[in-house]
Amino acid sequence: MDNIITTERLTKKYKRFTAVDGVSLHIRRGSIYGFLGPNGAGKSTTMKMLLGITAPTAGSFSIDGRHFPEDRTAILKGIGSLIESPAFYANLTGRENLDILRRILELPKDTVDDALELVGLTEAGNRLAGKYSLGMKQRLGLAGALLGRPPLLLLDEPTNGLDPSGIHEIRSLIQSLPERYHCTVMISSHMLSEIERMADDVGILNHGRLLFEGSLEELRCYAGGQGKPAGGLGKSADGGAAAYLQPGGVRLEDVFLAMVEQDNAAGKRRAE
Amino acid sequence: MRLFVIELRKERRTGVFLVFPSAGVLGAVYAFLVFHLRKDTLLSLPSAPMDILLTQLCGIMTVFNLFGIITAACMVCHMEFQGGAAKKMAALPVSAGAVYFCRFLILSMLLLAAAALQNLALLWIGRTDLPQGAFVLGTLLRFAGYVFLAAMPVLSFMVLLASCLQNMWVPLGVGVAGFLTGMAFADTEQPLFLLHPFVVMLKPAAAMNAKPDIAVVIAAIVETAVFLCMGFWLTEKSHYE
Ligand SMILES: Nc1ncnc2c1ncn2[C@@H]1O[C@H](COP(=O)(O)OP(=O)(O)OP(=O)(O)O)[C@@H](O)[C@H]1O
Ligand SMILES: [Mg+2]
Repeated sequence: MDNIITTERLTKKYKRFTAVDGVSLHIRRGSIYGFLGPNGAGKSTTMKMLLGITAPTAGSFSIDGRHFPEDRTAILKGIGSLIESPAFYANLTGRENLDILRRILELPKDTVDDALELVGLTEAGNRLAGKYSLGMKQRLGLAGALLGRPPLLLLDEPTNGLDPSGIHEIRSLIQSLPERYHCTVMISSHMLSEIERMADDVGILNHGRLLFEGSLEELRCYAGGQGKPAGGLGKSADGGAAAYLQPGGVRLEDVFLAMVEQDNAAGKRRAE
Repeated sequence: MRLFVIELRKERRTGVFLVFPSAGVLGAVYAFLVFHLRKDTLLSLPSAPMDILLTQLCGIMTVFNLFGIITAACMVCHMEFQGGAAKKMAALPVSAGAVYFCRFLILSMLLLAAAALQNLALLWIGRTDLPQGAFVLGTLLRFAGYVFLAAMPVLSFMVLLASCLQNMWVPLGVGVAGFLTGMAFADTEQPLFLLHPFVVMLKPAAAMNAKPDIAVVIAAIVETAVFLCMGFWLTEKSHYE
């Protein structure tokens, strides 16, 4: 299969604490990959390793057949990223910020307006980024990631801080990207319904370990086979049962909660 | 070159471009004022007129420049950390070391501009106020170069600190502490104190004549290079936490 990112038992330790533990991911070219996990699961850390911001303690990965650190420039030129909170120069306007990125990436001038247009920030482009609202900063960060339409996007909670219509808008945008221009998106989010609607494949992380990786369909079968949603019913008796009764209507949320819960219980047993 | 232009564009609206010219103008105005108000007292000092012109005015100019360096270094780096831009830069295909070097270069050039303004004032005063035939352009140029060189270790040191420490108040505090200790030790003969970059910077102002001290020159060059290399290496390495 044609994978743009493959990681091989990727591990990151901070002193004694293991943030990412032997994670092997396979991200198909042209797909939208939903990266899920509770707070502190290690999603951001994994994405940072893929960007070369932190070095893995063990394991390896390749992006489009290239490796860090020897191909750093080539890899980073092809990745648009938004990690955790958006980052920008507060003393520059939105447009000037993108222009700095454009110059670093050596892209043509019109890419700035294109990116502003994509995220709906054209009108606010000439205002200081430091004075933007949270949602506008998020959009600016996203515009920075989309600048020049790179073949790979790493988006860490891109809809954080957006209003409902903004979430809808950005979701539609991200969903349309692989068709608009052939790109691959790796996206982490806590909005499971979001991921369910746009992702092709998902990876579920808990305490740094990969619990599941595969397509949404596979996840439904897997969950059905293991009876996982039933395990989660005690917690979400409302929608869980109803959804389970509909044919093929297992909700990602229930599967996710049950899977994490079961793993946490298993973890506790191991610790005892 | 491309990176240099990018760095220049980042500094918009930070006030960095105001700090050094202000230090330069303040220094020049101070020189004019002092020489016009106290001309006779100054010129009756038991030194050669050229030495009086250069050493008597050098002290305050050095202090202006020193605070210019401290503020500018803190501003440049604060702007990089404030909105989290440093984080974004780490995920872009640029070498952090090269960016660091450009930043160093920009501040050096700004300091040079400030020094040029101040020395123009000295040139003017020397031409008009010194006794006939006492002004020697060569001496002024040599001393100006010497003062500039002596200021470089502090600049190199401050850029290093401000680039590595996210909290702007720490380099600012260290800068002030450096200034105070530098003042205290500037006129000691003990060569070991030349390891202190602020002492090196204040040496020309503390001397009684305008002859460059070769030990200070060597210390300045070595320290500037050491801090620059350290900063380059640290920023390059900090990619990989
Ligand atoms: N620089 C660091 N030093 C020490 N521990 C760290 C560091 N960065 C992250 N961690 C730890 O690694 C773990 C994983 O963090 P990470 O940010 O990857 O989680 P996440 O899955 O992105 O969570 P969230 O959903 O809250 O964003 C956390 O327990 C965190 O405390
Ligand atoms: Mg995170």
